[in-house]
Amino acid sequence: MLLNIKNLWVKGNAKIILKGVNLKIQKGETVALLGPNGSGKTVLAQTIAGNPKYKIIKGGIYYHHRKIDSLPPEKRTNLGIVLGWQAPPLVKGVKLEDFLKIIQKTRILNFLKPEESQLLLKELNANISGGEKKISELLQILSLKPKLVIFDEIDSGLDIKNLERIAKTIKKEIIQKKVATLFITHNGQVIKFLKPTKTLVMVDGKIICQSKDYQKILKTIKKYGYEKCKKCPFSSDRPYS
Amino acid sequence: MKNVKNVHFLQIDHIVKKISKVEGVEILTSPEAYKKISWTRKFFSEKPKEGYFIWVKKQVDFPLLTCFSLNTYKAQQNLENLLIIEKGLKIKSNVICNALKENLCASHKAKGKIVLKEGAKLQYFHSHWWGPKEIVESDYEFYLGKDSQLIYNYKNTHSSKNLFFRTFIEAEKNSDLNLNINLLGRNTKVKFEEVLKLKGENSRGVIRLRLVADKHSKIEGISKIFALNKSTGHLDCQGLLIDKDSKISLIPNLVCENKKAQLTHEASIGKISEEELTYLRTRGLTEKQAIDLIVSGFLTKWT
Repeated sequence: MLLNIKNLWVKGNAKIILKGVNLKIQKGETVALLGPNGSGKTVLAQTIAGNPKYKIIKGGIYYHHRKIDSLPPEKRTNLGIVLGWQAPPLVKGVKLEDFLKIIQKTRILNFLKPEESQLLLKELNANISGGEKKISELLQILSLKPKLVIFDEIDSGLDIKNLERIAKTIKKEIIQKKVATLFITHNGQVIKFLKPTKTLVMVDGKIICQSKDYQKILKTIKKYGYEKCKKCPFSSDRPYS
Repeated sequence: MKNVKNVHFLQIDHIVKKISKVEGVEILTSPEAYKKISWTRKFFSEKPKEGYFIWVKKQVDFPLLTCFSLNTYKAQQNLENLLIIEKGLKIKSNVICNALKENLCASHKAKGKIVLKEGAKLQYFHSHWWGPKEIVESDYEFYLGKDSQLIYNYKNTHSSKNLFFRTFIEAEKNSDLNLNINLLGRNTKVKFEEVLKLKGENSRGVIRLRLVADKHSKIEGISKIFALNKSTGHLDCQGLLIDKDSKISLIPNLVCENKKAQLTHEASIGKISEEELTYLRTRGLTEKQAIDLIVSGFLTKWT
């Protein structure tokens, strides 16, 4: 087992956000987590990555059977857990090219198109398009040689052409290299390209549903919406194994 | 001292170690200039004791490098410098003031006048690098002649125990100023004052301040822009507080005396964003490395 989250309760801004999350990811596995806005998906991603803003009040996160709740973000990254941010913040005066040199464990720039090389000379996350932000995130993630990547809304703000390209790169550089992934997505666009082995649904801070058939889940959500999920007779607050 | 062979004027404590000969440029000590060149006297407040006089009469295509260093316990430099750039010349000048050892408890006081004659262009890079126990006072005046242009970058990433610096700029018709001040204070008290006088028609000036206060530092400053003619001036100040015991206080003062002039101002002072810090930490940087990167990015943005 690569990642094992057991009955995780998390508080942020004086509010309980995650209410007993259970999640397991095997080495090399591709997992998708769907859920409506405000369901706690990003908080889960940030908590796994070690954002000190979120406090674990119950349960725990295990990585290679080792509890990592008290590890700072940088140590988790060094263990191989890397987060692709949904809205990465601006870092003034630091060029992406220079930043990659600082953080990189391996050199990987080969998927950039020639016209995209300008991105390397731009300030980190400053005045760049949604697509460029995702490419920037992907470059950073790959340069960190991850073992588990959490993509938080990698499909937001991308047109279908860019999404396809990003998905292809992820498939080639991450999934086919047996790196485990957790795709967090609101609209489920990205998972159509990446075909996860397990798909989960989170509502109100709890994972209420899971299936190996991502198409079935996407179809149900498309037909009934997440509101219906809450009333699903098969949903459960019980921890699943 | 690195690159000592390229230095055109080098003084350590009170001793002038080197004055280079440069064709078309007269380089003397200030006392010598005061004695030999009578017109220089109007620029000195009194008979100077030490410092440089550089008179650029012909174009030189390399930066003129001057360096003042402190190397002796309790040494006290008291400098008066004068730099004159003749009409239409395009010059780069690098000025380094530093302490060669830590804990010297020495002082460096420098007064300078820089005169750009009509159409002259000067890029003036002023770098301070001090030990934690020095006391530093820097008082520079720039006179920008008609159609002249000055880019003045002041950088201080190793501040002294106490630092006072004043910069005065007087801009004549069609002259252009770009003043960038980058200051990182650690265990320091800094007081500064900028005064930009837009005296001539169509003169322009931008003052950018990037101030970082860390480890119990106090940075206080006042920036004044006076528009006496049809002109434009802009003040842009950004401050970053690293620890809870530091303080940055800035007073902008825009005085417009001409209805065709335009003066603008923007300022923000705050602490490092937690989100930015966490982001960098999720890229494998420790908290300290992340703070150092944020600070260096913040300070180097305009240089």
